[in-house]
Amino acid sequence: MPARNTSERYGYVAQGLHWLIVGLLIVQVTLAKIAAGLPLGLDRLALLARHKSFGITILALAVIRLGWRLYDRPPPLPPMPRWQLVAARVNHAALYILLFAMPITGWIMSSASNYPVSWFGLVQLPDLAAPDRALKELLKLVHKSLSYGLFALVGLHLAGALKHQLVDRDGLLFRMLPWRPQ
Amino acid sequence: MILRILFACVTCCAAPFALADVWQTDQGSGKLTFSATQAGAKFTGGFESFQVRLDFDPSKPANGSLHVTVATPSIDTADADRDEILRSRDFFWAEQHPQAVFHAERIERDGSGWRALGQLTIRGVTKPASVRFALAPDFDKLSMKGTASLHRLAFGLGQGDWASTEWIGDEVDVNFELTLARSAIR
Repeated sequence: MPARNTSERYGYVAQGLHWLIVGLLIVQVTLAKIAAGLPLGLDRLALLARHKSFGITILALAVIRLGWRLYDRPPPLPPMPRWQLVAARVNHAALYILLFAMPITGWIMSSASNYPVSWFGLVQLPDLAAPDRALKELLKLVHKSLSYGLFALVGLHLAGALKHQLVDRDGLLFRMLPWRPQ
Repeated sequence: MILRILFACVTCCAAPFALADVWQTDQGSGKLTFSATQAGAKFTGGFESFQVRLDFDPSKPANGSLHVTVATPSIDTADADRDEILRSRDFFWAEQHPQAVFHAERIERDGSGWRALGQLTIRGVTKPASVRFALAPDFDKLSMKGTASLHRLAFGLGQGDWASTEWIGDEVDVNFELTLARSAIR
């Protein structure tokens, strides 16, 4: 599989970034869910610190991924009705926006609650806001609401991919997989 | 105001500023902050309520004394959850130990400033500690600025899980900047 995209499928750079981010998003949701159920304490602090470090990782990967996408255009989509093409484009654009918006709102929320963010304890990141209780509450709501938006978009993205695979049988799913059935 | 400045200038020029006196925190002035590390990132908090009493004559610093009282329930880190933990038994145990006290009866020269050597009591534990500070006349008042550093675990700040330094660093830096006024009571 080549590094760059072909007319048939994504290359390994785009695929690697896609699946790495998928994996990290699963980790993020898991950490957030576990932390939300914990009482105030060291475990909660530790889990949320990891959540922030992974979030910053996703933000960095999103930057790289968007850059790569602009440099190496995605393979064309198989023939489909126009509304589906538009829907797929809008969904992709919205997913990209959330890949940035989720970590950035989380980062501002952490700054506003006077918990400066570090990346795995190695680098301390600058604060995006001064400590501010009202801003923190607002960002908490936004971050949470955006996460529901992300679940919805991922659901649609997944439903679309499966529909192409199982109903249309046009092999669209293999564009994002390293192997292809013989 | 202008008169006051003129008066201050005249008195300053007329006679060297008389530093030797007993000084006390001016009500509602000053900041006492600390910075600690959580998950590898430094954050800053402070205490809303504290009092400083400085008995000091620069020509006889050894006879001076510095007494600082901090109301531990007044801790504020701009996060209610964290403040609650810090006031709890696991940290300051503010209910049982509402005051942290620094008391020094020895002051010596330290570069261009001063250093007070004394005892710091937090959460019922007393340890030797020193505070470095600088003084500057501010009209009829005295501005005082200084730093200290301590190891939180030496005072039991962090019981149980919190005693681990993996997520919360042991070292805490303390900074203060305040205005002192001449005390009526000697």
